[in-house]
Amino acid sequence: MLNAAEAKDGVKLAEVRLEHRIMRDLAIKSGDVSSLMSSVDSGMNVRIALLSGIGFASSNRMSKAEGIRLVQCAYRQARSSKRKVPVSLSPEAAVRTNWEVQQRRALADVSTEDRLKFLRGLDSAVLKTKVKVHGRFYDVRDWEITGFLANSEGSRVRSFLPRVMIESTNVVSSGGETEQSIREWGGTGGWEVIDRLKLDHVLPAEIKMLKTQIDKGKKVKPGVCDLVCGPEVAGIAAHESCGHPMEADRILGREMSQAGKSFVTPEHIGQGIGSRYATVIDDPTIPGSYGYYAYDMEGVKARPRHLYKEGRINEFLHNRETAGRLGLHSNGSSRSETYLKEPIVRMANTYVAPGDFEDDELIGAVKNGVLMHSFTEWNIDDKRYNQKYVSREAYFIEDGELAGPARKCILEITTPGFWGAIDAASKNVDYSAGECGKGDPMQGVAAFMGGPFLRLRGVMLK
Amino acid sequence: MSSLSHAASRLVEIARKEGATDAICEVEDLAVQQVRFSNSQIDAVNSWTESHAMMFVAVGKRVISSDLRNLDAADKEARVLVELGKRAPPSKGYGGLASGRFRYKQGRIDRRTASVDDPSKYAQEAIHAAEAAGAVDVGGTLYIRLSKLGIASSAGPIGNDESASVELSIRAFSQPEASGHAVCCTPSIGGLNAREVGEHAAELSLMARNSVQGEEGKFDIIIQPLFFGSISQSVSHMMSALRVEIGSSMFAKKIGKKVASEEITFIDEPTIDSTSRRAFDHEGAPARKNVMIKDGVLKTYLHNTSTAKKFKTRTTGNAGPLIPTPYAYATQPLPFHPVVLPGDWDVEEIISDTKRGLYLNNTWYTRYQNYTTGEFSTIPRDAILRIKDGEIIGAIKNIRISDNMMGLWKNMDAVSKQVQEVYWWAEAAPPSTLPTVRARNVNITRSA
Repeated sequence: MLNAAEAKDGVKLAEVRLEHRIMRDLAIKSGDVSSLMSSVDSGMNVRIALLSGIGFASSNRMSKAEGIRLVQCAYRQARSSKRKVPVSLSPEAAVRTNWEVQQRRALADVSTEDRLKFLRGLDSAVLKTKVKVHGRFYDVRDWEITGFLANSEGSRVRSFLPRVMIESTNVVSSGGETEQSIREWGGTGGWEVIDRLKLDHVLPAEIKMLKTQIDKGKKVKPGVCDLVCGPEVAGIAAHESCGHPMEADRILGREMSQAGKSFVTPEHIGQGIGSRYATVIDDPTIPGSYGYYAYDMEGVKARPRHLYKEGRINEFLHNRETAGRLGLHSNGSSRSETYLKEPIVRMANTYVAPGDFEDDELIGAVKNGVLMHSFTEWNIDDKRYNQKYVSREAYFIEDGELAGPARKCILEITTPGFWGAIDAASKNVDYSAGECGKGDPMQGVAAFMGGPFLRLRGVMLK
Repeated sequence: MSSLSHAASRLVEIARKEGATDAICEVEDLAVQQVRFSNSQIDAVNSWTESHAMMFVAVGKRVISSDLRNLDAADKEARVLVELGKRAPPSKGYGGLASGRFRYKQGRIDRRTASVDDPSKYAQEAIHAAEAAGAVDVGGTLYIRLSKLGIASSAGPIGNDESASVELSIRAFSQPEASGHAVCCTPSIGGLNAREVGEHAAELSLMARNSVQGEEGKFDIIIQPLFFGSISQSVSHMMSALRVEIGSSMFAKKIGKKVASEEITFIDEPTIDSTSRRAFDHEGAPARKNVMIKDGVLKTYLHNTSTAKKFKTRTTGNAGPLIPTPYAYATQPLPFHPVVLPGDWDVEEIISDTKRGLYLNNTWYTRYQNYTTGEFSTIPRDAILRIKDGEIIGAIKNIRISDNMMGLWKNMDAVSKQVQEVYWWAEAAPPSTLPTVRARNVNITRSA
């Protein structure tokens, strides 16, 4: 395929990617098996860049003839684009490498019986709380993804990435009221990822917490006060109001009709966005992380990217196309959900950098405020400037002490408002897993979101 | 029998011989062309081709499904699937498959749509039209999807279907913060009017110029079909009996009760000519019209055979894909083509009848605090136009709707005569046919 692509006139870059993907999924609903799935998929794609445009073609039919057809399609499509501004890709060194994530307990070796035992164990642990819980929908899913990338510049990258995730949906009711909890956990590696999560303790604690929120939670009186955000809230803010607006393809307009543009422009590099505690890093190389990869889909070595650094807009997320347009090098942010879809600029593991405070120090210095531990409803506008987080778990803080549950605390704030209000960050970072959605067609990619406890001074709560 | 239903039937037969008590298979040939554009030029032209078989087998109550991606090895994979099924844990909730021999109204892809080989020219036409109408920056997507499907089930259903969709979505900017969004969805390339869509997006963007910060409070909102498509997505999914069962629906225990205003009749209608028309559901039950809400009263949830058994009713022909899809669990009953029936207002009449309101083009990021109660928020985008005493007086920005979804539907008091098929990205999905509606006293919030 690569030879056929290279033989075409005017090809600046040709890439071919082959992928083999095994997926298993088991879901239970109120203790009973809801669905069981097992699937094996192989496919390939070719991407051709000419000065006049980019063409991408993919197929799950694996044959030489199909490969040649894809090359012809991609080439014809690239020619049809007729771009006014010629395609410019950043120059990157060719690499020849193999990378893989090791599994201590191979996902392939975990039987359906063992998976069911695990899920039913979670269900039993939840039932033992004696709290009324609807749904109890638990889903464990894993993938083993083997890839091979070759490009016309000489790169050859082989990869193996095992990944596993769990999703839970619980609706807790008490006294005629309900609270929902929809959560996800995940990581790369084998079944040891699941063992480490200790969900048989985490889920019952979540259920009891929600019942307490219903039974004892009081509404926050709207007004200005101090807010301590837990790692889950810090993580979603890092993802939504730093990671997304710092994606260079959005900044340059490529997602304008779907996920939107960004309040950030290329001229904003170096400008202030928050306090000195506003340092947000996106790092695909965190071992075991849900968003882990060693090389991106263009064969560029992954590395940490400091998006916001000490309160300043510092570095965008780039693939070769966006970096080329701005005269930079790619920082390895090109990802795709599967071989069927084009690779685009994506986050991996985005987190707020730790500070120098102990967790209780942050709370101890708040006279009147709220600790928002975790969130349920959230959203942000398409320029990534106006965001809203509604608490799932929150507590009042009075004179430096936690003072009972606060229910449905609402933070509706601008991006500089959030990052500018931080006056302290704790030492320990914790992560949550999620599927980040972007692209057209929508591509969900695995991501971590995280951070330490953050203290925001004088923000409006509703 | 076409090769697709034949292939499906053969895989079902293999599964039966291997010991499956029930088996169903859908074989699909899918070809998609996509043009992505932004900054008024084409970014990429993509295409993808898939041939695969989605298969579900049951050995008694032991069930398993798979997406057999290599059709050359599908016979072997079907046998392996049955062996896995024999060792699968039993699923007490499994209630069988739709049974019977059905005559389907099979769709056909028209020849012109199937033979489009340069979709870029339609995108270029839309871009030029938007620019000529005043836009300075245009982005969007054009899709041409062709799907051929064959289904066979051990319970009797066997059939074929074809469908095509042409979807053009354009967002035009006349200023950095002034945009309009317009779509065209049609099952035939002959129905695509790229120029008109581009012009409409541009016109909306011009109306959105010089926007000022919006204010909090209660407003009457008039929502265009594209906006309505985004919020009806979550509402129609909450009609799924599975969502009701797991406590993720505000419609639980509401059958026979008022859940919307009397002006609203909300149906799932996959048999009309649309981009999501289909002949059968994923169990092979004939696709049919289902009235979910009639004159504001909840009439039914959407069912597959298993949920119908659990709810002591019959399938509504809404069995979802046999494998998990984004935002849906495996086999989850799903809406295919939601429709709100037209009312008797002209859009202009609704605007002139509104004293203090907002005219809303589009929205995104609809999220719920609690699916059981319906507390949600969503973020209007593109043209957000202020109405005072029946006139559009300017544009605002940076607002959010924070309210209760059932309350919003109960407060809909004007429904337009005009309806439009809309589909956009992952927001206004699945394709739906909707009017413009007005909802009274909706809570608007904004960042502090």
